[in-house]
Amino acid sequence: MDTLLTADLAAKSFMLRRRSSTNVDAIHDLPEKESLAPAQLYSTESGRLFHSGRIVISTVGLPARGKTHISVALARYLRWLGVKTHIFHLGDYRRAHVGQTGEMPDDYFHVNASSSSVLLRNKILKKCREEILHFLNHENGQIAIYDAVNPLAAGRRALAREFEKHNVQTLFIESACTDERIIEENVRSVKISSPDYKNWTPEEAVRDYLQRINSRIPHFETMEETDLHYVKMINAGERVIVNNCAFGYLSQRIVFYLLNLHIKSRQTYFCRAGTTKDEENYKADASLSAEGEAYAHKMTDTLIAHRESERRNLIAHGAPESTALKPLNVWTSTRRRTVETGAEFEARGYRVRQRSQMSQLNPGVCEKMSERKIREKFPDEVAKHEQDPYHHRYPRAESYHDLAVRLEPIILELEREQNDLLIIAHESVLRVLYGYLMACSATDIPKLQFPRNEIIEIIPASYNNSAKRIHIPGLPQKLVPGSPEDIQIPVAPSGTASPFSGIGTPAEEGSGSLPLRPRIAVTSHSPT
Amino acid sequence: MRPATRTRGSSNAVTNGVGVQAEDTRICVVMVGLPARGKSLIAQKVVRYLGWLSITAKCFNVGNYRRTATPQPNAAFFDTSNKEGERLRKAAAEAAVDDMCKWFRSPDNLIAILDATNSTKPRRRWIKERCDAEGIETIFVESKCDREDIILSNILEVKTTSPDYEGLDPEHAAKDFLERIKMYERVYETLDEDEADMTYCKIINVGSQVIINRIQDYLQSRVVYYLMNLHIKPRSIWISRHGESMYNLSGQIGGDANLSARGRKYAEELPTLVKRSAGDSPLTVWTSTLKRTAQTAQHLPYEKLAWKALDELDSGVCDGLTYAEIEEKYPRDFKARDEDKYNYRYLGGESYRDVVIRLEPIIMELERSENILIVTHQAVLRCIYAYFMGSTQEKSPWMEVPLHCLIRLTPRAYKTEEERLFADVPAVSTWREKGSKAAHQVQTLSISECAEMCTDIACAQDTPENSRRPSPSIAAQTKP
Repeated sequence: MDTLLTADLAAKSFMLRRRSSTNVDAIHDLPEKESLAPAQLYSTESGRLFHSGRIVISTVGLPARGKTHISVALARYLRWLGVKTHIFHLGDYRRAHVGQTGEMPDDYFHVNASSSSVLLRNKILKKCREEILHFLNHENGQIAIYDAVNPLAAGRRALAREFEKHNVQTLFIESACTDERIIEENVRSVKISSPDYKNWTPEEAVRDYLQRINSRIPHFETMEETDLHYVKMINAGERVIVNNCAFGYLSQRIVFYLLNLHIKSRQTYFCRAGTTKDEENYKADASLSAEGEAYAHKMTDTLIAHRESERRNLIAHGAPESTALKPLNVWTSTRRRTVETGAEFEARGYRVRQRSQMSQLNPGVCEKMSERKIREKFPDEVAKHEQDPYHHRYPRAESYHDLAVRLEPIILELEREQNDLLIIAHESVLRVLYGYLMACSATDIPKLQFPRNEIIEIIPASYNNSAKRIHIPGLPQKLVPGSPEDIQIPVAPSGTASPFSGIGTPAEEGSGSLPLRPRIAVTSHSPT
Repeated sequence: MRPATRTRGSSNAVTNGVGVQAEDTRICVVMVGLPARGKSLIAQKVVRYLGWLSITAKCFNVGNYRRTATPQPNAAFFDTSNKEGERLRKAAAEAAVDDMCKWFRSPDNLIAILDATNSTKPRRRWIKERCDAEGIETIFVESKCDREDIILSNILEVKTTSPDYEGLDPEHAAKDFLERIKMYERVYETLDEDEADMTYCKIINVGSQVIINRIQDYLQSRVVYYLMNLHIKPRSIWISRHGESMYNLSGQIGGDANLSARGRKYAEELPTLVKRSAGDSPLTVWTSTLKRTAQTAQHLPYEKLAWKALDELDSGVCDGLTYAEIEEKYPRDFKARDEDKYNYRYLGGESYRDVVIRLEPIIMELERSENILIVTHQAVLRCIYAYFMGSTQEKSPWMEVPLHCLIRLTPRAYKTEEERLFADVPAVSTWREKGSKAAHQVQTLSISECAEMCTDIACAQDTPENSRRPSPSIAAQTKP
């Protein structure tokens, strides 16, 4: 986390291990109870994946190099894979120690600091290290992300040795920038929104901020220690140096993920496919109905109009008249209804790609059965499903977990994509992808709702993402709720879990039996 | 990335209306490195991996072009002060690059691998400029190695069997080869700051350090990730179908049936069969999530992992039907599937192409892992087998994999060796020949008949190179 200007954020965190107080993005929450993660392959008694040991991922880099962005993105991905991961921001411990208003000694980061500063430094470091080891040794943690500057080679070696004693591997991730423009851009977008810089011009604020970094942290050694495990990302991934990292499953996965990560911000939109001629039949793969086509047109118009108004908005706020949004790409599944829903975009010259991994959850043998019939035929399955709607599979069906594993390549491409992106898919796929971007727990994912009259927009930020809903006006009411491909089940009375809380959405909105509203904030949110 | 996308024509025609799309990105992977640094091994593996993912890839080996002019040159030929040698080698490089550019003009061809030492900066710059002019992206992959032990073992295992030294004394060959490397070392320039504008991946000492520069798109990151997962430790992969199931007996496809009595017998014998082949080496068992594979693996004394990705090809509306019923109920589909089995997607189900896509993480895990035993299903096994053996998409869906047979695959530098072990437990055959009627074979085969049939099929159905196999049970396939 930013070392200098995050007092306001620290004020929000009521304990050192952060739990985000908003209902926006749960990436900073530690899961309350033991539950499997969205794409976890298996569970073990220890709670850790057996083919990898415990790892501390330690960031290295000066402020404004994107360390927090990398830490958060990595934690999101690892949690998604079912690796129990937590981020420890050293800055939080420092602030807790000196208090909200307390001043840090000026030589705190200096190599030849006064003995009182060194003492303070060691005390803070020790506290953070103890909590990391507690997480790894006593809370079944597998990966601790230690977000700190770690400027000196000697300090890094000592850190790795210290963790080695506890049989924990240390993987360093350095974010380095040789391109001043990237640093300035980063400072401008993340750091100087603080109240400290109210009424400053951006140029002056950037200059002042960089000067403060230079005087506070005058000594920084880039990673050259070939005996340590490290990944060095230079200029936001333009060059990546991977040193001595083939020590396990997770290290390789992390490197692959980092290869696809960039720090440019872009929008993601989610929307549903139109309704089809053969609504109830999953296997038929039917074409859009007339209503479905009308929906596709309205949705396309709404999104294009929304983007145009965003652009005008930017111009109204001082951007030049020639400002263009990022190009918009569209991904659909290979199911006919999503391809046909995206056809309107293709006709208007947008780039549309089909992704076979994005087909909806397969409902298996229960397709087209009524709830009563399912309860009659598979009472045991219904009981199991009610216990764990995320992992349970009806006979021959896919669970949400299966779907999440199948979507992994899509997640990586999602991270790599630099253009704005619209994903047209079945509600089940949207739930899982949304669950990744917003760090939802496995229990919540099957309950997320994506009514057809709304386009979901995910707005990325380095500390956490936020979402908003764009209303599509003028749709007939019967199109709005439920997935057309859902199994038609009568709405369960209030308080009763439907056997298909996962697969289906109740037929009518506002009937009193709706599952929890998903955690989608209506307003945008900027934390730092 | 370029804006245009393209639907693969071949799949469009025969699937239910929608095909798989590939990016319109053409990439030339340019190998860089001194001789005996594993460049050709990497090139071969990448071609096989991409081909398996339906990304058409081809390797252009400059040595092969040079060999047409000078079949068996000695080390002096590679001396840079040897003007004639220099001229011939440049001509070979030009011929290879010309052919590659021609090959890229076909819209389906996406990735070429230029396998040569490409040891100087001017040579690499020249390749990049040629490719830029043709609108082809370049990624340079350098294998740099200064560990003597790795280089020597590489020379002994691979290079002395090179066509350049055919029929020569191995010791003499190795000595000449070391001389040849020295010639290259004089002019060799590693990828460095001067080439910071290029996309490259530099692998130092078999991955102890990897430098990745300017990766431009997902496909390139995929290739790099794959390269980073490769290891050279010796290991084997054992694959088996589940034991005979109740559905196998009735001739139904799909489903989640239990094992038959004979299937259970196979499960009991499997530990002995595995032990006979693997000895005491440690291994991990992977199964699908269906009952029949878990039941087949139940007696194996190893760590087990169930993967949903290893489940049988989903036959959608046809799940639980016999081939005869499918032919009767969906005659057009039955015929369409025969015409292009790889791309045919069952109504509401999957095609072989879909199965390959979902198996990709499994392949990556397999490349990373050491000894693995996979108990899975016919279609999935065919796809995994096709990856290791490089079988074509036309043939792999028709490959015969009998029940109650354990296949051992051992990856070597230039080929994967195959061995088949049969349990002495009879089973029905579930194999249906292309274009044949959908009659369910009710007769059971004895073990010897089974083995015999297996050899016939292997010869007829599998890759043509292995048609002269020595014996049905121990057969090695050679890849060029």
